[in-house]
Amino acid sequence: MSPLATLRCWWRAIIERSRIHTEVEEEFQFYIDSYAQDLVRQGMEPVEAARKARIQLGHPGVQKEKYREAIGLRLFDEIGGDVRYGLRSLYKHPSVSTVAVLALTLGIGATTAMFSLIYSALLHPFPYAGADRIVNPRVIDEKHPQILTWFALTPSQFYSFRKSVDSILGFTLAGLEITGGDLPEDVSAAYVTSNAYSFFGIPAMLGRGIQPSDVPDTGQPTNVTVLSYRFWREHYGGDKTIVGRTLQLNRQNYTVVGVMPSRFTFTETVGNADVYIPWAPNRAPGVFPWIKLKPGVSLATANAQFQSLLNQFKQETPKHFPDSFRVSVQPIIEPYIHRTGSTLALLFASVVVLLLIGCANCSVLLLARGEARHHELAIRSAIGASRFRMVRQLLVESLAISFSGAAMGVGASFWLAEIPLRLMPNAFPQEASITINFQILVFSIGLALFTGLLSGLSPALRLSQPNVSQIVQCTSRAYGGSTGKRTTNLLIGGQIALTFILLGVAGAAIAGFMKITSMRLGYDPHDVMAIRIPLKRDIEKNQQRRAIFIDQLRERVSTIPGVASVAVASSGLPPAPPFGGAPGPFDILGKQSKQPPQAITSLVSQQYFATLKIPLLSGRIWNQTENQRGDFVAIVNQTLAQRYWPNGDAIGHQIRVSALKDDGRPLSAASPQSGEWRQIIGVVADSRNDGLERSIAPAIYVPYTTFMWDSTELLVRTAGTPLAFVHAIRVALQSVSSDQRTSQIDDLEEILRHQPIWTQQRLFSILFSFFAGLALALSLVGIASTVSFAMARRTNELSIRMALGAKRSHIVWIVVRATLATVGGGIVVGVILNLALEKTLRHWTPGSVFALWMEAGVALLLLICATITCLLPAKRAANIDPMQTLRCE
Amino acid sequence: MAKPIDLPQGSLEMLILKATSLGPLHGYGILLRIQQISGKRLEILQGTFYTAIYRLERRGWIEGEWGESENNRRAKFYHLTAAGKRQLKVETAKWADMTSVVASVLQSKPEEV
Repeated sequence: MSPLATLRCWWRAIIERSRIHTEVEEEFQFYIDSYAQDLVRQGMEPVEAARKARIQLGHPGVQKEKYREAIGLRLFDEIGGDVRYGLRSLYKHPSVSTVAVLALTLGIGATTAMFSLIYSALLHPFPYAGADRIVNPRVIDEKHPQILTWFALTPSQFYSFRKSVDSILGFTLAGLEITGGDLPEDVSAAYVTSNAYSFFGIPAMLGRGIQPSDVPDTGQPTNVTVLSYRFWREHYGGDKTIVGRTLQLNRQNYTVVGVMPSRFTFTETVGNADVYIPWAPNRAPGVFPWIKLKPGVSLATANAQFQSLLNQFKQETPKHFPDSFRVSVQPIIEPYIHRTGSTLALLFASVVVLLLIGCANCSVLLLARGEARHHELAIRSAIGASRFRMVRQLLVESLAISFSGAAMGVGASFWLAEIPLRLMPNAFPQEASITINFQILVFSIGLALFTGLLSGLSPALRLSQPNVSQIVQCTSRAYGGSTGKRTTNLLIGGQIALTFILLGVAGAAIAGFMKITSMRLGYDPHDVMAIRIPLKRDIEKNQQRRAIFIDQLRERVSTIPGVASVAVASSGLPPAPPFGGAPGPFDILGKQSKQPPQAITSLVSQQYFATLKIPLLSGRIWNQTENQRGDFVAIVNQTLAQRYWPNGDAIGHQIRVSALKDDGRPLSAASPQSGEWRQIIGVVADSRNDGLERSIAPAIYVPYTTFMWDSTELLVRTAGTPLAFVHAIRVALQSVSSDQRTSQIDDLEEILRHQPIWTQQRLFSILFSFFAGLALALSLVGIASTVSFAMARRTNELSIRMALGAKRSHIVWIVVRATLATVGGGIVVGVILNLALEKTLRHWTPGSVFALWMEAGVALLLLICATITCLLPAKRAANIDPMQTLRCE
Repeated sequence: MAKPIDLPQGSLEMLILKATSLGPLHGYGILLRIQQISGKRLEILQGTFYTAIYRLERRGWIEGEWGESENNRRAKFYHLTAAGKRQLKVETAKWADMTSVVASVLQSKPEEV
């Protein structure tokens, strides 16, 4: 038996339906006629023969049904009929259908949106070939395990690495300058090894990518460059004829050979590169590796394999590695999972809750409508429809609703999925792009099936068992059976409980966000900007001369009119964790403890406290001479002072931060006794220094001249918008040293607004308010429809009550009391669930504020909304004229 | 004339395949052919006859084509397809197997049982 023949047969029966049917009839007519002729030949009268043939063989018109059944299309025809009937009944109750479809549209749309966001931002964010095998090798310093370190490879190390992996890319970033034009302009260049094109597997948008022939084995690398899409748009205005032209960088001519597509923004984790240049040892001494593992190699295997290799490298270049370390390769997606994994998990959980509310709502509506259909279903049952057949038909109706909802939801999801990306721009990989793909369509179809069955099942099971004799005896209006009442109450209660959870989470998120925005920072970020200043490549190794140079830069900027105060801060900004990202150990003279105390060490100039308006609580701030020297002085914050000298006598004690010792790296310069004992000369007030969501860490401030790298940072307080001073500051810096550049300029308030916790909490506040609002609306619609359907069903009874003298208020009360009791029950369950979930929620949203008063507020809000929703239809019902109703009977 | 016998389940299909293997026939022709070969000893139920033809056609074992009948009317003639020929062979072998086994069991003598 060939399945193809079956398919062809079905296809024809469905597509060429009427032609096939005529043929079947014609063929059968011929069969009947042949039989009749035979009978005539046997001696029967022609009329009698025709009659006998017809009696024996049946009517040709019936034959087409036999045909469809014989070829196995019966189920298809029946379900087709159910679908048509379902759509017709949806069409006949437009208000119910619209609300039900809308409820599922919201639920399915939001769930699909979150799924596609998770899919494209966490599961498949990178466009690179074999992206799931690309790892970022890091080493973990055994002495400071919380500080992750990357390592550079020399050319020969790079080549020996290449043997043990699928492929390896080396890159390093450098700030270059466009020369040859009117004004020098900074560009960020990425030197990439010449296998970049094959490593990424992404073709260039224009021209070609970097290829091995750009760096011949012997001799000079060719001066070619590939532009990033953004640089090409901004600098060349998207000129399509760019390939082949020349770009002068650091007074060298480079030929532009290609432009990368917009989705490719390699090194986004470190900073966006404007141009890609083939790497050669004479361009940059070392490269950082990205490694593509061989298929099937586990991370543990890779770690073990690289450990021995790196131990060998450490022998050759000890300064590239910590004293003792272990390798820990990291898949390139991991930082993003770390950053957004719990956010997305929480959002997904909440859209699932929203979807469940939508399903419950849909069930409530179907049940309510089903009450009005009791009569129809009873008659169907009475004339022989099986329960299975009725359940199937009711399910097909709810599936029709869910699939309409899914179709609209998928369209909406495309737009919804963008919202988190917009609100948390730095948290997701830039290269992620949300598209509707096969997986997402499969997911949404699965979701539609699931919701259709879920929302249709309980109404279908309930309604398919009509009490035939009772219903048929009554008129439809008078039948006041309690079928489905308990189910409805359960659904309404469940909806309320879930809505309560969402409202509670939304409230906590908003409270958390308000706490962050109104947080006392301990310093004043208003009108302050941070300017990152790279020092020259061939900087002075001499500590004193470097210190003086930085001070000259600071001094020169402070003379600009409108600049109120300038400070040097070499170690990152508050509240970002400075100095390597985490507190480190320090010693207190005369205090021995097994666990060394921990503090954040900041390298600043004496103007730092005035510039950020951090008040001095006691003691003094170091002076200019002490600042130049760097050694022997330190200032601590209040937290540190109180923790170790609770009696307030911190000043005069000696502390030591060993990590400040000169590590002998080529780019660093330290004062002679940087890692030795220093006296605490002052205590300043606390300021946020360990992220907005965490408490203030103990902090030590030392003069920046203690330890300097190849870049520093100026904090500039201005009168008025800081960024308006950028030009004047650039001019001032260049007046000190003609080729002095700036790299990154940020408004401090802007930095705060880009803190992950800030953006995350804002995202939570907005999305949860949105979800909770939707959930509330859906629940209220559910309540309203239950009350009005109950009213409609009980009109007769209520009219009699009124005729017998019941007051309107009493009528309203008997209508709403059951629903209100359900709502109350739902709220109680919601409170219990919320308390049970609180620990998980706290873990997922560290910035949210959970409090009992909030639960009470949410409960009150729900109760008020539900009461109003109940009262509106009930009031209308209480206005019926009993005489009229009873006369109608 | 001997008493007509009822067909066991599924064997009607086999007979239709056999009938069409001798050349294209229309539906009534198939019926006549089977009755003729069997010496009118087979009772074919009218209700199931066409159902069997439709099923065989769906499976791709026979194929219908419109042609002209002996009395110049449009009629649908069925012929055996390649797949149908294979199927007929398989069914025939199976049938022979089954009948011989059943027969040998039924013909066994009391002392053998």
